[in-house]
Amino acid sequence: MTMFESCIEIRRHFSDYLEGRCEPVTVRSIRYHLGYCEACRAEWECCQSVREDLRSLPRQQVPPELALRLRVKLSQQLHRNLLSRLLIRLENAIQPRLLPGTAGVLTAIICFGLIMGWQTVPVTNAPDVPLRFWTPPRLLELAPVNFNTDDQSVVVVTQIDAGGRVRGYTVLSGQDSPELMQRLDRVIYFSLFEPATMFGKPTEGRLVLSLRRITVRG
Amino acid sequence: MADTAPFLGVRVAEAVTVASDEAMLVAELRAGSEEAFAYLLAVYQTPVYNLTLHMLENGADAADVLQEVFVKVFKGIKHFHGESSLKTWIYRIAVHEASNHRRGWLRRLRHEPFSLDEMGSEPAVVGAGSGNGIKTPYQLLEQEERQQLVRRALASLTKPYRSAVVLREIEDLSYEEIAQILGVAEGTVKSRLLRGRELLRRKLASWLGK
Repeated sequence: MTMFESCIEIRRHFSDYLEGRCEPVTVRSIRYHLGYCEACRAEWECCQSVREDLRSLPRQQVPPELALRLRVKLSQQLHRNLLSRLLIRLENAIQPRLLPGTAGVLTAIICFGLIMGWQTVPVTNAPDVPLRFWTPPRLLELAPVNFNTDDQSVVVVTQIDAGGRVRGYTVLSGQDSPELMQRLDRVIYFSLFEPATMFGKPTEGRLVLSLRRITVRG
Repeated sequence: MADTAPFLGVRVAEAVTVASDEAMLVAELRAGSEEAFAYLLAVYQTPVYNLTLHMLENGADAADVLQEVFVKVFKGIKHFHGESSLKTWIYRIAVHEASNHRRGWLRRLRHEPFSLDEMGSEPAVVGAGSGNGIKTPYQLLEQEERQQLVRRALASLTKPYRSAVVLREIEDLSYEEIAQILGVAEGTVKSRLLRGRELLRRKLASWLGK
């Protein structure tokens, strides 16, 4: 066993001995020396006491205002660039309004749906007076008279009054022989017409007819 | 050997988990996650604050340094490549900032003296050695006085010795971690600790009349 020659030599090892970093041989030597040397033992106890004192120093808690300041400072650092700052501001501006806004939009949609549901008009096949701005006159029934123009149609413009009667007519194209005019008179004046309407009220109107051949059987 | 193998396996697994957790935290910090920084603050703000308090002996200066440290951590996290642990890296910044601040503080000290007693007035967390037993007012006073003497003795040490002693005895870091933080060899840490402890012991012995 290596023995220490002097107290100074052994005291150099106190720091390592305290840390438990000495070789087993050195540990045995120190223990042996401390067993008989009172001065070194006192110094060793003092070393241990200093260590305990240091380790027993209370840990200071970070003051709450400092902790808050630190968090704010880091948050500022975190959002230093313009885009993220803008995003944060936008988020802060939108967030308080997001819930009421969404609720409002949903309520509006639901109300709209309910109101539209109640106001739906049932579709029926019943004939009704057309309420359009203007409707043209209509041919209801041709006169049962034979009529033939020899493969060349006659185009006439008829003037229909509010009662559905023919006031007169003008031939736009086709033959205009007296015989054809006579037959045309019979066809047009004995046909049934529906008058033109204005806001649902019968009124005068013009109807263009193209005639070529009418054959009546029976 | 057969008995130690599973134990070693557990230790290695724990080390790997810790390393991967830290890597994940660093990745989150780099990505600028606010939650990650909140977590970092929750874990490190108290130890860093205590470290700077022991290095500077002044609450206001320690508060300033604490903020500077975390701003530097925030700015420098992109350059942290995991050569050391995150804790060691943060402590290194803290020691460096405290030293820089101390230079300015020493300049100011010539004009405005301050009392070391003010440190004792701050709220304290119960220390490791305070125990759970009920102490008499006399014992509490004695303990408080002794703690103040220890702080004064610590404050009287020069920066290299003080930082080594604080990191080893108060922050309970290993020699290797202290060497990384102070940027010196482990042998230097050992000698600084030896000298620092010796100076402290002498100082306390003279004050306590031993």
